[in-house]
Amino acid sequence: MRLKLVTLSGTKFDEEIYEATIPTVDGEIAVFPDHEPLVTLAKGGVITVRKHKTASVDDDDFFAISGGVVEINPGEIKVLVDEADHGDDIVEAESQAALDRALSLRDEAKDQVELEKAHQLVDRHMVRLKVADLHRRRRRS
Amino acid sequence: MASTRQLKGRIRSVKNTKQITKAMQMVAASKMRRAQDATKASSDYTRSAQELLTHLAAQGATNGHPLFTDRPVKSRLLIVIAADKGLAGAYNTNVMKAYIQSLKSDDKEGVRNMTISVGRKASQFVSRIKDTEVIGTYNDLPDHPEGSEFYAILSTACDKFVEGTVDAVDVIFTRFVSSMTQTAEVQRILPAGFSAETVSEFVRDATYEPSVSVVLEGVARRMVGAQLFQALLDARASEHSMRMLAMKNATDNATELADDLTLEMNKARQAAITQELAEISGGAEAMNG
Repeated sequence: MRLKLVTLSGTKFDEEIYEATIPTVDGEIAVFPDHEPLVTLAKGGVITVRKHKTASVDDDDFFAISGGVVEINPGEIKVLVDEADHGDDIVEAESQAALDRALSLRDEAKDQVELEKAHQLVDRHMVRLKVADLHRRRRRS
Repeated sequence: MASTRQLKGRIRSVKNTKQITKAMQMVAASKMRRAQDATKASSDYTRSAQELLTHLAAQGATNGHPLFTDRPVKSRLLIVIAADKGLAGAYNTNVMKAYIQSLKSDDKEGVRNMTISVGRKASQFVSRIKDTEVIGTYNDLPDHPEGSEFYAILSTACDKFVEGTVDAVDVIFTRFVSSMTQTAEVQRILPAGFSAETVSEFVRDATYEPSVSVVLEGVARRMVGAQLFQALLDARASEHSMRMLAMKNATDNATELADDLTLEMNKARQAAITQELAEISGGAEAMNG
């Protein structure tokens, strides 16, 4: 089964995998080969990827994604999102700093629009931080 | 014939200009390569998105959706995308020509129109035109327009369309066909249209969760955004490659001009030497005689 993470700035991931766990608006779904065709909406969160059936949990790959569309076809999962980053590419300290900034923006927001924007930023950096954290733990073990 | 000194000055100034145009050519070339990669990178997304939309439309899910309502066009919004700077050959002129053409055809058909301009050159141009209402100008967009400006343009366009102020939204931009060909084009992004792209049969049989309409709601704006994004990237790539070509021509012309002037200077110098010799030998002849 092939997993494709397609963003506006290019295809971020395009490889054969065994299992993918994807956050959707209806909750998290785990997709294995021969899943029925499905189109659903992804929400911001962590995609967990296992490449082989026998691979250990410690070798999982993590991606931070923003909202988008998930298209499951036989033999292929296509995830169209605004943003997708691999755990390797996220620097934990930077994400933490960005989260702090977003939090202070949220606290200082003057109107609804600013608050909404700040909330989005907070969510985004929370997810990135979580991916960075998962990634670090995996490497340590 | 101009004096050697004058010619020397001109050669120096032509060579200076050549250095500048050469540098601008190099800069444009490297920017073009990056912009070109960006256009290619996002085309994957746009294509998949288009396929999904086409399919949703085929299911009849788009009927009645505010972004898909096809109304008789009484007024439209034009988004004009040009460069922030000049010196890019006919780049800005071509876009403005297409824009004027649209305005004229609107005039003929009695369609009112509004304009959003992107890029300093476009903004300067539209601000001088009286029979359109300018509702937004965006200058100095970054090479990768992901930020708030992009969303501002997108949501203005969508909101105006949904509330019925305009019945169509068109983007006027330069499509990047290849590094040699770029064409100014008018593309309709709202009502969200569909290309005749064939849908893979799996998408056709798929289940939609939670429901077709919810998926559509989540997808529609994003897809319209992707089209606008692609237009912005295309415009950027076109700008850089047209600037590169224009600067290459300028550099070539400067080289030619410098060569011609050098030849002329050498001739002038030789003429001066010949004349001096003639005078000396003339003088010697007179003394001997």
